[in-house]
Amino acid sequence: MNTQSTLIRNQTIIFHPSGTLFWEEKSMLLISDVHLGKVSHFRKFGAAVPWNAITRNFELMDEAINFFSPEEVVFLGDLFHSSLNSEWKLFEQWMATVISKVILVAGNHDIISPLKYENLGIDVLSEMISDEFLLTHHPEERDGYFNFSGHIHPAIRLRGEGRQSLRLPCFFKSTNQMILPAFGTFTGSHILEPKHDNEVYAITEDAVFKIELSIPNRGRHFS
Amino acid sequence: MTRDELYHIAENWFQQQDWKPFPFQKKTWQAFLQGKHGLLNAPTGSGKTYALWFPIVLHYIKKNPEYRTKHKKGLKAIWITPLRALSLEIKQSAERITEDLGTQMTVGIRTGDTSTKERAQQKKLMPDLLITTPESLQLLLATKGYDRIFKDCTAIVVDEWHELLGTKRGVQMELGLSRLRSVAKNLRIWGISATIGNLDQARQVLLGPNSNALENSVMIKAKLNKKITVKSIIPKEMETFPWRGHLGLRLLEEVIPIINNSKTTLLFTNTRSQCEIWFQKILEKHPEYAGEMAMHHGSINKETRLWVEQAIRNESLKAVVCTSSLDLGVDFAPVETVVQIGGPKGVARFLQRAGRSGHRPGKESVIYFLPTHALELVEASALQQAVKQLAVEDRIPYLNSFDVLLQYLTTLAVSDGFYPDEIFPEIQQTFCYQAMSKDQWQWLLNFLVLGSQSLQTYDEYKKVEIEEDGKFKVNNRGVAMRHRFQIGTIVGDANLTVRYQKGGYIGSVEESFISKMTQGDVFTFAGRNLEFIRIKDMQVHVRNSSKKTNKVPSWMGGRLTLSAQMSELLRNELYSAGLDKKNQSVEIRSLSPLFDRQRIESIVPNSQEFLIETFKTRDGYHHIFYPFEGRFVHEAMGSLLGYRISLLFPITFSLAFNDYGFELLSDKEIDIQQVIDNNLFSKDYLLEDLQKSLNSTEMARRKFRDIAVISGLVFTGYPNKGIKMKHLQSNSQLLFDVFRDYEPDNLLFQQAFTETFEHQLEEGRLRLALERIAIQEIVWKACKKPTPFSFPIITDRLREKLSSEKLADRIKRMTAMLMKRR
Repeated sequence: MNTQSTLIRNQTIIFHPSGTLFWEEKSMLLISDVHLGKVSHFRKFGAAVPWNAITRNFELMDEAINFFSPEEVVFLGDLFHSSLNSEWKLFEQWMATVISKVILVAGNHDIISPLKYENLGIDVLSEMISDEFLLTHHPEERDGYFNFSGHIHPAIRLRGEGRQSLRLPCFFKSTNQMILPAFGTFTGSHILEPKHDNEVYAITEDAVFKIELSIPNRGRHFS
Repeated sequence: MTRDELYHIAENWFQQQDWKPFPFQKKTWQAFLQGKHGLLNAPTGSGKTYALWFPIVLHYIKKNPEYRTKHKKGLKAIWITPLRALSLEIKQSAERITEDLGTQMTVGIRTGDTSTKERAQQKKLMPDLLITTPESLQLLLATKGYDRIFKDCTAIVVDEWHELLGTKRGVQMELGLSRLRSVAKNLRIWGISATIGNLDQARQVLLGPNSNALENSVMIKAKLNKKITVKSIIPKEMETFPWRGHLGLRLLEEVIPIINNSKTTLLFTNTRSQCEIWFQKILEKHPEYAGEMAMHHGSINKETRLWVEQAIRNESLKAVVCTSSLDLGVDFAPVETVVQIGGPKGVARFLQRAGRSGHRPGKESVIYFLPTHALELVEASALQQAVKQLAVEDRIPYLNSFDVLLQYLTTLAVSDGFYPDEIFPEIQQTFCYQAMSKDQWQWLLNFLVLGSQSLQTYDEYKKVEIEEDGKFKVNNRGVAMRHRFQIGTIVGDANLTVRYQKGGYIGSVEESFISKMTQGDVFTFAGRNLEFIRIKDMQVHVRNSSKKTNKVPSWMGGRLTLSAQMSELLRNELYSAGLDKKNQSVEIRSLSPLFDRQRIESIVPNSQEFLIETFKTRDGYHHIFYPFEGRFVHEAMGSLLGYRISLLFPITFSLAFNDYGFELLSDKEIDIQQVIDNNLFSKDYLLEDLQKSLNSTEMARRKFRDIAVISGLVFTGYPNKGIKMKHLQSNSQLLFDVFRDYEPDNLLFQQAFTETFEHQLEEGRLRLALERIAIQEIVWKACKKPTPFSFPIITDRLREKLSSEKLADRIKRMTAMLMKRR
């Protein structure tokens, strides 16, 4: 696995190809927009999305957790996509194998009762503050804080000579904000256009790349 | 009543109208009354409706001698039309007969436009003669107790069968017929088709390849000798005529005298956006036509379309700019002249359009061809030949469309349920599924019930259930409701209706267009300038605007390709560039300035030469190949060659193609000598290489989109009903990835690849093209700048991608563009 790291307000932040982010000083792993239960939800309504995509979510979370061995795992919202369905059972079984402390910063899709989470030992918060860092589901600007969030499912469009183009999910950083890519196997993405003060870290199956930003050429050559 | 007495009734009627029945009409009556099935090959407006409505009514008269006083209720015949816009016309001709002959038969229409109330009434009591679409017929099969509706039906006529054949709606029709045949024991099946290359096959598909029906069937051809004259509009100044483009506005003024010289002129465009633009521009330059000119295309509201059609009949319009929406049906006698703007991409279609003019038997049809760029004149010249030789295309029927079958089985499960042992033999008799294996059938059944192949713990998949006696049934009301809505979605992108804020329906546009709009943007639609206000409940709200704009909605539409015959004609025309002027067509002669330009740095190939050009521009290194085989073959050859080159060294291409050739564009230069030396045009390992190249391009992914929608994997919501099902919407791209990663052996996923192979790549033709290239001399020209031949290709934006490089290496050479300052 090929990770990348950067310093934000003197804290070491490591980007993992799975789309998770590790805050080294706090030993905290951030995961956003897993959307568990989505596949089951579709299947329940008669759309046969491959069932195996469900198990893969848990395997990928295990991989990221084993890689960093974090003390804390914080889900930045949209952990569960829908109302309670059978995937909750699988989540319960998975939780039993997790040693780290688990926290959920709730998102718009998280409609399952907090009590259900608390029974599994998960704290449910609407936001979380740690030193000068603010952890939320929706991106937010708040004076004095650096914000980690999800919700957007950011992706970036890369262009190269010979009319080449690529679309990759990414970590999207502005001066006081970092938006995480969606973690889930059955989630889409949304292309963001960077500005000068953005930093973009694109993820592929096994590596993270810091993306170079360039000024677009104007006009077409043949028209 | 004897048969002769029956004919007498019909002939009397014709006499009263001062008409005389055509031999083909009489032949059809006879065959029908003898109890035969069949295919009638007759063009639009030839009197084909009377060829079949008559025997249907006569048959009823025969069975019910007291038809004038006593009426037997219930459905007797179904008329299927692919376009609901045509249903009214068909109804009128049926009513003329039923009334004039003094029967008490009723005629009804059932399409997406039919009101809920009327539909409910029909369900209680069907009209005697029902006019409907393939989709609405499927919906009837989703009704409880449908067997009682169809029990006494004696005939089904599938009109414009050539339009359905070679599409998934055609497959839907095959399945519907397979069921009706069992439910209605005395059903006669008839198709009506315009001329296509594979008429015999068309009959097989309609009736089933090994069926008794096929054995007991006839093919009747209406031989109406019609003279068709094609006139090309040749630019006066070829030196300044554009090398590329698709609008053709440069020649707008040439059309004006044509319009002025005839009573009514139809201007056929290839796309709806082109139609909008032409309409707008003619009015801009010639405001005197205001009120005498109209526009007709599939996204304009029904009332306007009907008004336009009526106005053509009344001869109150001078010109109508239209699309394929006026290809079918509707008899417009007063149309005098037809203009085709841009290559029609199909001889059959071109003939059909030409037939729109002088639309009376025996009259000469005149069609003008207006080229949108210089090379299209070669196509114009080839079309002249094609029309002479009647070189019409085949419509290739689909095989093993599992998506349509899944939809159909769910339909049956929604209504009365089905027993697999009863349905399987019916399905095996269809053309589409004649080679389906028992394993595949079992897979489909499992998929319906389990959502995949094995039962997983905690899985809550719910669709079709197996009842105790083995009946497959949908018992969940939600599943049933969603499925009924889904039936109409064999075609298309999500469409949004466009309305004025205060109401007033204008038409529909594709979501992809409107999603790029922000409040206050102005676009041209239905001949008006409209300001975008908002999207609400899947409706686009607009108001009129006086602002000028160049935004015109575009509709994705199938891109057609040249047939093998047409490609050959095209090559021959091109090769004639080297001949003496005397032996050239007027189109080719007019192109000589362009050929001269082409010869400065390159050549105009003759029949012995295969041309390759390379040059560099700011876009990168262009490598262009000219097989002149039609876009589908080029797409296949492009990806094949791209794949083979990518085995020599890591490289990334973007591929573009048109009917003349294809381009491999890269950020690296390819040594063409290496391509030649390594014999990369070889037909050895063709199939394997093609398959592998397919995996590295996006073609199958695009095919998957329709498959996912039809099979019910993707739910599109109910745009027209204002019901949103956001929680069940997903995008087929995402789904494609999930299948590739987690269930690659899924038959629906596999189908995307087979379809690309059979309907997109035309492997057979590719093989022949490679054989031809093998005996040609390869001429490689390294040019300094783009040549006239290359221009239409290199400026094409729709591109395939193919890469053999490591993702990491590519990312390193790429950047993300910063947002433009606004």
